[in-house]
Amino acid sequence: MALPLRSGETRPLARIKILQGLFIALFSIYALRLFIMQVISGDLYRSRAQNIAQRTTTLIAQRGEIYDRNYDRPMVLNVDSFAVNLTPAEVPKGQIPVIMERLASVLGVPKEKIQKTVPPQYYQLYHPLQVASNVSFTTIGQIAEHMDQFPGVSWQSKPIRSYVDPGSLAHIVGYVGDITQDELKVLYNQGYQQGNIIGKAGIEKEYDPILRGRDGYETKVVDVRGKRVSVENNTLIEPPIMGKNLVLTIDQSIQTLAEKALGQRMGAVVVSRPSTGEILAMVSYPWYDPNIFNTNDISTEYQSLLDDPKKPLLNRAIQSNYPPASTFKVIMTTGILNEKAFPPDKTIECKGELNYGGRIWKDWIGKPGHGPLDLKGGLAQSCDIYFWVVGRDYLGPERIVSYSKDFGLGDLTNVDLPGEIPGFIPTPQWKERRFHEKWQGGDTMNMSIGQGYTLVTPIQMADMVSMIVNDGTIYKPHLLKEIRDPVSGAVIKSIQPEVLHKSDIPPDIFKTVRDNMRAVITEGTARFPVNIKAVEIAGKTGTGEVGLADRWHSWFVAFAPYETDKPEDRIVVSIIVEATNNWEWWAPYASAIIFQGVFAHQTFQEAVKALGFQYLMPQRERRE
Amino acid sequence: MTLKRIGEIDFSLLFASIILTIFGILFIYSSGVTSLGVSVSNEHIKQITWAVAGVLIALIVALTDYRRLYDWSLYLYIFFIVLLIYTRFFGKLVNGARAWVGIGSFGIQPSEFAKITTILFLARYLDQSSRSHNSFFRFLVSCLIVFAPVLVILAQPDLGTTLVFIPILLIMTYIAGLSLRYVSYLALIILLTGILTILPLWETYIMGGRFPSLLFITNSKVVLFLLFSFLLTTLISIFGFNRYKKNYFYWLAYGFSIGTISLLFSFAAQHVLKEYQVMRLIVFLNPNIDARGSGWNIIQSITAIGSGGFFGKGYLQGTQSHYRFLPEQSTDFIFSIFSEEWGFIGGIIVFSLFLLICLRLIRIMKTTSDPFGAYIAAGLSALYSFHFIINVGMTMGIMPITGIPLLFMSYGGSSLLASMIGIGLACSIYVRRYEH
Repeated sequence: MALPLRSGETRPLARIKILQGLFIALFSIYALRLFIMQVISGDLYRSRAQNIAQRTTTLIAQRGEIYDRNYDRPMVLNVDSFAVNLTPAEVPKGQIPVIMERLASVLGVPKEKIQKTVPPQYYQLYHPLQVASNVSFTTIGQIAEHMDQFPGVSWQSKPIRSYVDPGSLAHIVGYVGDITQDELKVLYNQGYQQGNIIGKAGIEKEYDPILRGRDGYETKVVDVRGKRVSVENNTLIEPPIMGKNLVLTIDQSIQTLAEKALGQRMGAVVVSRPSTGEILAMVSYPWYDPNIFNTNDISTEYQSLLDDPKKPLLNRAIQSNYPPASTFKVIMTTGILNEKAFPPDKTIECKGELNYGGRIWKDWIGKPGHGPLDLKGGLAQSCDIYFWVVGRDYLGPERIVSYSKDFGLGDLTNVDLPGEIPGFIPTPQWKERRFHEKWQGGDTMNMSIGQGYTLVTPIQMADMVSMIVNDGTIYKPHLLKEIRDPVSGAVIKSIQPEVLHKSDIPPDIFKTVRDNMRAVITEGTARFPVNIKAVEIAGKTGTGEVGLADRWHSWFVAFAPYETDKPEDRIVVSIIVEATNNWEWWAPYASAIIFQGVFAHQTFQEAVKALGFQYLMPQRERRE
Repeated sequence: MTLKRIGEIDFSLLFASIILTIFGILFIYSSGVTSLGVSVSNEHIKQITWAVAGVLIALIVALTDYRRLYDWSLYLYIFFIVLLIYTRFFGKLVNGARAWVGIGSFGIQPSEFAKITTILFLARYLDQSSRSHNSFFRFLVSCLIVFAPVLVILAQPDLGTTLVFIPILLIMTYIAGLSLRYVSYLALIILLTGILTILPLWETYIMGGRFPSLLFITNSKVVLFLLFSFLLTTLISIFGFNRYKKNYFYWLAYGFSIGTISLLFSFAAQHVLKEYQVMRLIVFLNPNIDARGSGWNIIQSITAIGSGGFFGKGYLQGTQSHYRFLPEQSTDFIFSIFSEEWGFIGGIIVFSLFLLICLRLIRIMKTTSDPFGAYIAAGLSALYSFHFIINVGMTMGIMPITGIPLLFMSYGGSSLLASMIGIGLACSIYVRRYEH
């Protein structure tokens, strides 16, 4: 039925009624849905609402401290410090840039850095954002006194890792930093999270799982932006578990002694106890200050470390390869004796140079040479010609390689620091593969005197001497002595010596080698600096060719006391002073200072004075 | 304009809209209050300003003769289309769309006003053409009148707003007496397109891939085949109808052409729809699929409303809203915060107010002697009811997220003013219902 309307127009009443019905039907369906949601299922939603509103935050565990073997003074402390945060949503509209400027000036941090941490898209956030760490209590006081000028600014305690006067300990202890994405990818299932601190180098990294403890957590009622809501029974806490303290094998006094003995020369020192494998000191120069990683401008400092051509971040004791030079003759001696390749009493005439393979091979001493030398003399005088002849004609490259491997060269020592490199032992097969050239006699000659392709690390040299001292056993070098409880100080675990390698060579061979090494000091190349009264030393010098006419690597590896009833008192010293320094032939002198200091219980200055080395020291060092 | 007639205004219509607006202001204020009870936003102040202006404008419009707009409707319509085009190119980029144009912080959303001007112009056309042309032609032109602003708004891009124009078109032509077959033609196409677009998503995400045959829509070979065969059938039927004048040919053509077009549109939709739009559809089907991302809003809204219970949690006491779990509280989800705090009681009151507005508009449609006025009322009823159905449905989880506001209640000057103008027009029509 149509309404009486203007002609030609149909406005059906029926349709309007249908539309009306449609509206009523739709609204009723919606009302029903609302009823179901709110009245019938209301409880379900109420409980869901409650769950969404709870949030958990982590309570960070305190990281373990690190001590030297005497357990009296920590090398690393967690120092109370503050981090300053800005919660952008609590700052009145439009004030954020002003607040950031004020913060920048009171904290002493560039404004751009704060602006980078709080970009405009975060201006609505209720989450506190850290704008600076390592803030002093005084600065916090300044902010607190003028709190009205700093809306939205808060602070919290954030301990930083403070390295107490580290010096050369930097390479051993390492440093920490925030965990990166790449590290998280690998370690995600070991409980690490974004924002955690993780060790990046050294002991901090090697024993990070022990040092870090376990974070606790706190559950509270918050809104979706993380803002805490004031409600009773708000929090649920699981307390954090503190990290364990580590006691290292390092002896601070020996470390300082070694550090000063090496001085400002590029190189490395390793002092170890052969009977257990404990490392008493490890120095690599140049070192760096790990405390820079706690400042607010890490990136510039770190970049300058990376850019430094002297590579201060490199731990030369375990991460740097050098040709062993004449120190290798110790291995040669062992091989010659064990294989009975050449009678030890038989002499070889050293004329100062040798003609082989179409060129002249010059002994370091030059013409007219050493004269006739037997095995002991050859080692004592470090005669190249003796070892060239015996190595090339009597021992042969295969056996030299096999003895090198027996002494652990070319392999990792598995010391408990990250980043160790294994050195390198060449073989005839390797040379064929690599250079497509046959192994020549000249290569054997080079190898016999520790030049050529052979590469070792200072710690491998220390292990080499340890094997000779221990009659064929090498104990795994390690830096960790004990793990202790942070609260009570009780020992949780004590690290026992572990055998890295045991050789079949009979003990009497090693005795002879030790005797020959003593001859190096009593009558050989090291007799002037190293023949000291405080203790009897036995060792071997080494002067490595690097291709320069006036500079060489200076090696000295030794042990003391030479003869004793208590073998557990012996220490091994392995030093290299790189050819990059001014030429001083310093390694033997440094060793002497170290042995003097250790066995006469003297400091560096006292040892230098006792040995009469003052005149050798440049002005600067003498005043130390 | 005459003040004498002020007593004849349909007060229930006016007051219903004013009450809804007041509710809106109250809850815009609530949405700006933090969990500590501190108000951090002044949106409610702005809304009050617009509300006052809106009511004044509504009264002014109510007291003027709407017939004056009869001639002006064309110019208004064209003006706003031009403004829309301008906005598309020079408007401010907000949330990825250029829908806003203005100077400094003063601006308008032309698309809101375009809804009113399109209603006006379409009403005029339907009135004018009632004698002169046949149903089919009128329907076609009506579609064109609506598609013009739709295309420009789609380009902004703003899919949600364009959707409103479809029920406006359908209901206005329906009430104008256009042949049912044409109205249902369009309605069926829209419905079928919607179903076919959702079908593969439903199959993949909800049914877990158990009915791969339902995925035929995504397979271009199958679609091509179906398209081809449907088109062929349609063409043959048209030919048959022309030749043999048998009715069944007509209906075959009718049905298969619906099929063809729907197939085409839904297939195109799958490739044209942006990922976030597809996500919105998926998440509408099952919000838990992306509970922390796109599904978050729906889950939060449903939780907020559901936890309101019968009486609600109390004004300013809502947890989901004040703890900031609910997003867009002053705009898209204004009903959620309202319902959380005033419960089922409050919800039913809002529903009733909207129903009241629609029923009053129906009454106007029935009783006014001027078809122009009736069609305007029809368009307005489509406008208000559609916004209500989509927005409230979205908050309750029974409609996908489209981003259109709840008229009168959501924060927004342009939509509030446009809605008030609509109310003013309705009152004006009602006052003069016997005059034409």
